[in-house]
Formats: sequence, structure tokens, C-alpha cells
Amino acid sequence: MSELTWSTKSPRPRITLTPSLAQNLPDDNHMALRLEGSAKETLEQGRNRLVMAGVIFAICFIALASRLIGLAISGIGDEEVIASEADAPPPVATTESKRAEIRDRNGVLLATTLTTASLFADPKKVLDPKEAAAKLTTVLGDLNEATILSKLASAKNFIWLKRNLTPSQQYQVNSLGIPGLYFREEEKRFYPMGPLVSHVMGFTDVDNHGIAGVEKHFDEQLNGSGERASQELILSLDVRIQHALRDELSRHMSIFRAIGAAGMVMDIKTGEILGMVSLPDFDPNRPGDFSGDAKFNRISLGVYEMGSTFKTFTTAMGLDTGTVGLNGGYDATEPIRKGGFRIRDDHPKKRWLSVPEIYMYSSNIGAAKMADEVGPKRHKAFLAKLGLLEKPSLEIPEIGAPILPPRWNSLETMTISFGHGLSVSPLQLSTGIAAIVNGGNYIKPTVVRRDSEKRTAVRQVISAKTSDIMRRLMRLVVEKGTGGKAAAPGYLVGGKTGTAEKAVGGRYKRDALIASFVSAFPMNDPRYVVFAMLDEPKGNAQTHGFRSAGWTAAPIVGRLISRIGPILSIQPLDEESEAIQKAMFIPINSREKKLASF
Amino acid sequence: MKLNLTVISLVLVAAVSFGLYQLSYEVQELEKDLKGLNKGISENKESVRILKAEWTYQNRPDVLQALSSKHLPLLLIAPYQVASVGEVPYPQVDPEQYSVPVPRHNPRRDYSPATPLPKGPIQLATFTYEGNMQ
Repeated sequence: MSELTWSTKSPRPRITLTPSLAQNLPDDNHMALRLEGSAKETLEQGRNRLVMAGVIFAICFIALASRLIGLAISGIGDEEVIASEADAPPPVATTESKRAEIRDRNGVLLATTLTTASLFADPKKVLDPKEAAAKLTTVLGDLNEATILSKLASAKNFIWLKRNLTPSQQYQVNSLGIPGLYFREEEKRFYPMGPLVSHVMGFTDVDNHGIAGVEKHFDEQLNGSGERASQELILSLDVRIQHALRDELSRHMSIFRAIGAAGMVMDIKTGEILGMVSLPDFDPNRPGDFSGDAKFNRISLGVYEMGSTFKTFTTAMGLDTGTVGLNGGYDATEPIRKGGFRIRDDHPKKRWLSVPEIYMYSSNIGAAKMADEVGPKRHKAFLAKLGLLEKPSLEIPEIGAPILPPRWNSLETMTISFGHGLSVSPLQLSTGIAAIVNGGNYIKPTVVRRDSEKRTAVRQVISAKTSDIMRRLMRLVVEKGTGGKAAAPGYLVGGKTGTAEKAVGGRYKRDALIASFVSAFPMNDPRYVVFAMLDEPKGNAQTHGFRSAGWTAAPIVGRLISRIGPILSIQPLDEESEAIQKAMFIPINSREKKLASF
Repeated sequence: MKLNLTVISLVLVAAVSFGLYQLSYEVQELEKDLKGLNKGISENKESVRILKAEWTYQNRPDVLQALSSKHLPLLLIAPYQVASVGEVPYPQVDPEQYSVPVPRHNPRRDYSPATPLPKGPIQLATFTYEGNMQ
């Protein structure tokens, strides 16, 4: 007997097959079997469908759940945020997208970019232009009431009133509560030191692109656009020295009523420029207000016939090539006549002069004879080694190329020996002098801070022995020669005066001089080269009417070195002490007839 | 049973969705806060920039020089005013003026109490074997 039972409590029909079902049994059972078969089929099909649907739904839900869990764990649902955070490297990207700051060697801020508010008006929305103009002039004193009124009464719907307000001005304008006035944020390059570092710094245009000085040279780096983007630029300048230099130069410029002045301080071991001033100068915050003359960098762009300072190179060359010894000398009794020129001395001794005397008394005749003996070819090669015949390299675009004579023969060698006929920039001169006194190594100048160990482009120009003699000779000039006013007690200054007539229109102007003084200190172990120059100084009662470099440019250097010596932590020396006297001793070998001898 | 399951799942759905919405709102709130904080940071940075520029501007060397020449009696440093630490003489003490006795050695080293300590383990100050106060 077979049984087909519906279990009522069970949700699906359960078919219980008894063992007799397996055997083919009587006919009434056959009906039951068929029924059973179709029911089973239907039920199986339904169940399969249900299971299939359940599986599909389960897969969907599992997918959703896993996604939810994944999102919950990662914590971020926004793909865009993930992408932008992965791409932006530094977390300070928001503020550092500005043009980078420039600092001096001690970290004093020289240039920064500020977000400033600019005031503009929508004249259509200004209710009472008259009142608004009157109110605005009480806050912005430099604006003219009439011009504001005409601006506010115009029919435009946008007009600039004042660009780049200070935060306090913005606050005051805001508190006036005039309708129709709005602010727009703009970026402005700001130079807190004003005219102090104008020429090295340069300036930027309205769009904050550097158009002069280091601002131009490092434009890409400062803007953060190129590969060499940097956070800040550190210059080799020292603001304190820069200020002392500018202060002394401007004071002496007004004392001697000069039309211009220039000066620089340079580290002779690293080539770093600690101070570079050219007067008149300009305020980089508002470069448009200054003339081209103020923006002219006399140190690097201006080339001048430097005068007697070139005798340093001539003497070094004579001694280094061995054409003349320290005991040797030349007859300076008679002026030299050559090719229609007459070379004469400013302070004629009219006798035989030894090499130290030629240098000390700045004898043109002696220097010319000394250079002539070396010969034009070697002279040219020597000056080329000192970097005086090619455009120097410095990290500012305002670099002047030297003006060489069209021919370089015996006559040119003679005139160039005392600094006429070859125009170089004061930068080149100072670099050359640095090479002469630092032991003979030519080091490229730079305005960017350098590590003291890392030297670039060193080439031996003269021997260390010649360099030592040159130091003593330069000291001799200050001690006994033409540069006495450059003495700064304790700092063992040595240097050379240079007075040159300005060449204007192919002729020398007798009343227009370039007075310069190039020096190094302390002379027993030189560390810094100091250069000062006055353009067209005029004599006064204090100088007894003299306007030569010994009277006008040398005092600048003397004052300056006593000022900057302590800043540069140079230990003052006792100049009278035996050790120093011995270190600075140089035999003069004068053949001057002394009256006391009979 | 069926009803129970439905009710439970409905309640669960409601609870989960409520939780989800709550979370979402919280996140939105936090993101708003973050944006505000970031804005505050950049504003502060900008202020710091301006203040630094202002500070440098007020500390220009020419301004400092004018102020120091007005208020301070300072002149150029003369060479004799500069010395190294080695050059500063060691302070000489006048033995008569400062005759403070200096102990030769630590006085505690030779210290011995007037009465010798009692022998044996440490005793309380108030306790004696005799039973009375010391």
C-alpha cells in the first residue's frame, strides 16, 4: 500500500514513498503514482526557481553588503577626494602656491607675496557718489576727492578705486559701509626692505613675473612652475652690511656732491656677495616711479675705465711672470711719449722708482713700463685669466660686458696697465682683486648663499707667493701711500686708489672723474673685498678741493670697514704689534736721496 | 512567526537606514567643519605672512639706526672694545676683603654623635625594655 500524505504543518508537500511504490503494484495505485509524479515535477520546478531567485538575490545583497563594508572601512565615499588627495604632495599646497619668498643669508625677509584687497566700485549701485567720495578721502588720504567723484559718477559698472590696500585700510573702508564698493583679492609682491636691496632684488610686473634682478633670473624657480620649484630663495646678501654700505655711500655721495655711487662687499673665499649697492636706487615696491638712471646697476651693468686700481693687476703680472723682481724698478723721470699720447704721473717723483714705490705712489709711467716689458700678448692672457675680458656670470640679468680696445698693441698695454682703455664693471674688478689677494684662486661671484666648503670654478691665476706680496703692497698703500684715509684701526686694511677721467664721446672729460677704492681686509689673512666708487665727486673745503680717490672714495671704505668688521666677526688686531709689522713688512728699496745723509 | 520575521526585518531596515542617514549627516557636518578649519588655517597663514612682512618692514636697518641714535648712547665699536673670552681676566679675589672660611673637607665625614647609638635592631624612640619613656 502506498501513501501520499500532505503534512499540513509543513510548508511544502512531502511525499512519503513506501517501499511498495518501487514495485509495480496494482492499478489503483498507478493513478496515485502519476499524480504523484506530476506534483513532484511541479513542486521541484517551483522549488528550483525559488532557489535560483534566492541565489541571485543573495549574490546581489552580498555584493551590496561587501561594498557597504568596504566603504565603511575606507571611510571615504567620494572618489574625487581620494584622487585629489593622492595627487597633492605637500599639505601646505594652498598657501605655498604663491611666488616663493626671498631671504637674506640670515633669514631676513627680502621679498614676499601678500594677498591684498583691491577696492573697486560699481558706480550704478552707489547711492550717493558725493557722500561716498567725501567719506573715502577721509580714509584713503592719497586719493583725490574730485577724481573719485568723477569715477563714481561715470556710467560704467566696474571701476578700480585703489589697488592693493593695506589690511587696516580695508578695515576702515569696510567700516564706512558705503554700498556699491567691493574688494577683490589680488596678489602683490612686497619688498619690506624697500630700496635697500633694490638692484640685486629687481622687481616683478603686475602679474608677478620677475622682470629684473634675481626675480628674473630665478623666475621659474620662484613661481613654482618649473622642475626647480623651491620654497624660498636664500641670497648671499647680509642686510646689515647692505645697510652700512648704502648708508656710507649715500652720505659720502652727498658730501662730495657726486651724481652716483656704488659699492660692494664680497667674501673672497666663497665668492659670495654680502652687499651690493648702486646709488641712486629705487624702491622695488613701486618701480614705475623711478627713472632709468635709478634702475641702472653701476656695479654689474656699468663698465668704467677703473684707473689706477688696475696697477694691482699690472704689478701682480710683473711679479708673477718674473719680468721684474720686488727689488727691481723703472725710471719715472720723464713722461712717456708714444703714438701721440703722453703718459705722465699725477704726483711726479722725477726719479727711479722701485716696484713697491710705483704701486704706492701710483706711478703711471712705472706701471706702463712694467706692462710693456711683459708684452701685450701675455698682458691680455693674464687679464683674461682674471675674468676681465669677458662678461662675468652672476645670477642677475643686468650684467655688462667689458669694452675692449679695438687693437691691443704696445700702446694699449701701456694705457691698460694703469686702467685706461679697457672698461670693466666694478664686479669684475672686485672679483679680480679677490683672486689676487686670496692666494691666487679665481672664484666666480654669486649672490646666492654658498656653503663655505663648496667652491665653484676655481682656477689658479697667480702663485700664492705673488699673492702674499700683493697683500703687503696693498697694505703699504694704506699705510704710507695714497690710500691713507681708508685705514680702519684694527682691521689691517689694504687697498688701491683709482681715479679715472670719464670718457665722454671719445674724449676724456677733465672735470668728470670716477673715484674708486678697492680694498681687502684683514690683510694678514684676507677675508673680504670691499669696493667703493663715486661718480663725478667734487672737492670741498675738507679735502682742500681735491676729488681724487684717496680723498673721496678711500674714507668710505675706512668708515665702512670699521662698521662691518664687528658684524663679520673679524677679530681686531694690534696693527703696531711686532708680529703684524713683520707679516706686513715689504722692502721699499728707495733710491731717493735723503737730505739727512750729508 | 512570519509576522515576527517581517516586523523584525522592517525594524532592522528602519534602524539601519536611520543609522546610515545619521552617519551621512554626521560626515557632512564633519566635512563642513574640516573645510572651515582649513579655511581658518589658510587665513591664519596669510595673517602670519602679513605680520612677518610687517615685522620686517618695521625692523628695517635704517629705522633701527635712527631709533638707536635717538635713544641709545652707542657709538661705533672701537677695536679695543672687542675681545675674546680668553682675554677676559679671571676675577681675582682679595683674601682680606673676602675672608669667608672655606671648609677643607666635608665636615659630616668626621661627625660622631655624642651618645652612641643603642645596639641591636632599630627601636622606636618611645620604647624601652624597661617600659618607660626615654
